Amino acid sequence: MLPSLAGHATPGNMATSSVAGQPGSTPRKKSNKQQNQAGFSVTHFRVPLVLACALFLLSFVPRVQSSPVLVASFWGAVAVLLAWQAYQFLQMQREQQSYGFFVLLRPQHYIQAMVQSSVYLYWGFYWRPVYEHFWLIIAQILFAYTFDMLLSWSRKRDYTLGFGPIPIILSVNLFLWFRDDWFYLQFLMIAIGFMGKEYVRWQREGRNVHIFNPSAFALGIFSVILIATNTTSLTWGQEIASTLTLAPNIYTFLFLVGLVVMYFFSITLVAGMAAITLFLFSAIYSSTAGVPYFLDSEIPAAVFLGLHLLITDPSTSPRTPLGKLFFGLLYGIGVFALYTLLGALGAPTFYDKLLCVPLLNLSVIAIDRLVRSVNSETLISVWQDKWFNGRGNLAHMSVWVLLFGLMSVLGKTDGKHEGDSLPFWQQACAEGLPNSCQRLVQLEATYCGDNAAWACNELGAHYREGTIVEQNQELSLGYFSRSCELKFKAGCVNLLDVDSIARENPRELDLRLLLREGGQNLMELPIDQLYARACDHDWAFACDSPRINI
Amino acid sequence: MSEEKESNEPKVPGRTIGFSIMTIATFFVAVFLYQNSAPETQSVTIPAATISEDLAGFSSAHWFLPDDDMFGFVEIPAGSFTMGSNPNLDRMAYQNERWSDLRRQGEVDLPRYFIARYETTVAQFAAFIVNGGMTAPQVPLSGAGNLPVTNVTWPEALAYTRWLDQQLRQSADTPAALRAMLDAGAAVTLPNEAEWEKAARGTDGRVFPWRDAPAESVANFNSQSTRAVNSSQCSQCIWGLNDMAGNVWELTRSPLQDYPYTADDDAEGLGEDALYAMRGGSYADGLNNIRAAVRGGVDPGVRNSSIGFRVVISSL
Repeated sequence: MLPSLAGHATPGNMATSSVAGQPGSTPRKKSNKQQNQAGFSVTHFRVPLVLACALFLLSFVPRVQSSPVLVASFWGAVAVLLAWQAYQFLQMQREQQSYGFFVLLRPQHYIQAMVQSSVYLYWGFYWRPVYEHFWLIIAQILFAYTFDMLLSWSRKRDYTLGFGPIPIILSVNLFLWFRDDWFYLQFLMIAIGFMGKEYVRWQREGRNVHIFNPSAFALGIFSVILIATNTTSLTWGQEIASTLTLAPNIYTFLFLVGLVVMYFFSITLVAGMAAITLFLFSAIYSSTAGVPYFLDSEIPAAVFLGLHLLITDPSTSPRTPLGKLFFGLLYGIGVFALYTLLGALGAPTFYDKLLCVPLLNLSVIAIDRLVRSVNSETLISVWQDKWFNGRGNLAHMSVWVLLFGLMSVLGKTDGKHEGDSLPFWQQACAEGLPNSCQRLVQLEATYCGDNAAWACNELGAHYREGTIVEQNQELSLGYFSRSCELKFKAGCVNLLDVDSIARENPRELDLRLLLREGGQNLMELPIDQLYARACDHDWAFACDSPRINI
Repeated sequence: MSEEKESNEPKVPGRTIGFSIMTIATFFVAVFLYQNSAPETQSVTIPAATISEDLAGFSSAHWFLPDDDMFGFVEIPAGSFTMGSNPNLDRMAYQNERWSDLRRQGEVDLPRYFIARYETTVAQFAAFIVNGGMTAPQVPLSGAGNLPVTNVTWPEALAYTRWLDQQLRQSADTPAALRAMLDAGAAVTLPNEAEWEKAARGTDGRVFPWRDAPAESVANFNSQSTRAVNSSQCSQCIWGLNDMAGNVWELTRSPLQDYPYTADDDAEGLGEDALYAMRGGSYADGLNNIRAAVRGGVDPGVRNSSIGFRVVISSL
């Protein structure tokens, strides 16, 4: 995403107006002495007060009222903001000075926010919890503005009022949000993101700038904590990562909105390189191993979203074309490696796209240095504007359009993916293909968690057999019990007879759960279409079923 | 002069304090989430009275099994019995008690087995929970220890039988007859339909477990609640088993399938939804539903306050 530092924008791409200082003055150049001369004023406190009150009023909308913890989270956040305002008020009164804000509207903020909003709109149309999350996003935006404003005043400077906090909030919520019972942690995550932007800084090219992309910083820290404490279930992270694909042609959609961002902010080299790296590594792996690297796609949709939004902040990415290419390459490698690492650690793999961003942000200076150490102006300037009569970005975009088109033609973006099929993984596991048994167990565990009794019975069978997982009678009985309680007769038979294993094809209800591909609701799907879908996903028994022709 | 001007300007706070606050907040989030990361285990609060050591008639040293020489198990001798209902003799018979299109009843031959005199009690199930037989139990164990345990799913009932099997095999106090049976390959489990029905009606084809006794004097039915499993004795019942009629429905290990009965097809029809037979009726049923041949069906995941179970030691 593109929240950038105040002062980065050039006069040509920003609109400013001073609210605190003298009209027409240049706000950034207002000295502390001038501020002192302004004296103490309560006027500017109205803004954070109104925002906090709005947050309080939001706690009365039905969505928030549906959960007592949610209401308490809102009120807690309001209480903290009001207390901080009171402290700031007393502090400024004592020092007889006040700080205000000036308006600065930056395209990279509002265009980014519009692009993100379009993703929410499209995705939410096919996965309704997104729309239900609307008021909670508004609340976070109100909280973020107030928090950022107070943070700025506590640092004795005017607040830059623009659209800056909006893309940060929208970006965070595209990857992680806490469930209602834990929503106070969402406010805390937002607060830590803004504090990271304010307090974790370094000198880069002679300027004091923040090191980390604020949303990626918050997401990175909370990801590490959630993994370490094994509390991912307190969030919607897994659902968010897997439900993007419910929206048809999501890759094409993300590609198209990504072009808008690329056109305005020249992020093509970073995003494109990251995507190409991932596609390339994924293709190499699947051609050598015989199975896809990522579970259900060549590059997960959430990763594709991430490489357009999380690593493209110009403040926290390299400046030179070669540096950007290197940055994108490292992101691709990072995601690729983390996917395996997280899987090996038994952690949810959807964190892969989040964890490497802060590390990459930290390496920006090193990348810049490395690029400068290249003793070749031609190489450093590769893809530079002058090669294309000042239209370098358009040239980069053209290449990216061609590559994406090629990948789409090869069926590597939208459309059915062989990894979506459980029989594919069963077959691959039977053939001993790398990681396929692990993936099979992983998939079955997910489906069993979704109450697909067939999957529970299969898991029980694996743990009783001890061929693809270590034998574990207790786990096996637990899975058979679950399967049996879900009325899967083979599971019950397996509970009675511990010396053999009964298996059976998925029932109709199981198919409705097994064929959801991330979260589609197939409960109302006509039975003939259900069996046709099962047949299409390589369930041989479904192809032979009379129900397919009903 | 210059220095004076500088001192009038507000001092911009360093970043150390803010950074520290951020770090401490992060640390507390981590600690807080760590404390909430323990797997959710439902706290097992078993009232002291439930597993009181002086639960009359039961042995706390032996998992609250009945305090007698056979741990409350009654031997049912090998031999055949008449299964199913003859509407000429039993006008309350349901269609699913008919043996086949041609025959009203059938003969089933069973090897020797042992069956519990009482329905499994709250105290016995609590002993299973306390001894780690099950994590996160959802079975309410607040009743008196000698009440029949209810709200147990079919897999949970089976889990109890597996646990009791282990205990009996490991204990030095296990009665010799039971130990010999277990050593010969038998196992503690739920009765199948035939075992249950033979234990209930004996070999003389009776409709109820008793003969020549007012039902109200021996069975808990048409009432509001369960009763203690040892609250009465059924001397008129053929094997002296309590509550084979009424009190709680008793789960069996047989899927509910059309007669003629055979255990050979229990593992067939795996594509159908599981439905298991339960027998004996409950306190909430009328007289027609507490007959020995009555067959009910229950989803294996169902919990109900009128459904419990009793155990057998069976070689089948």
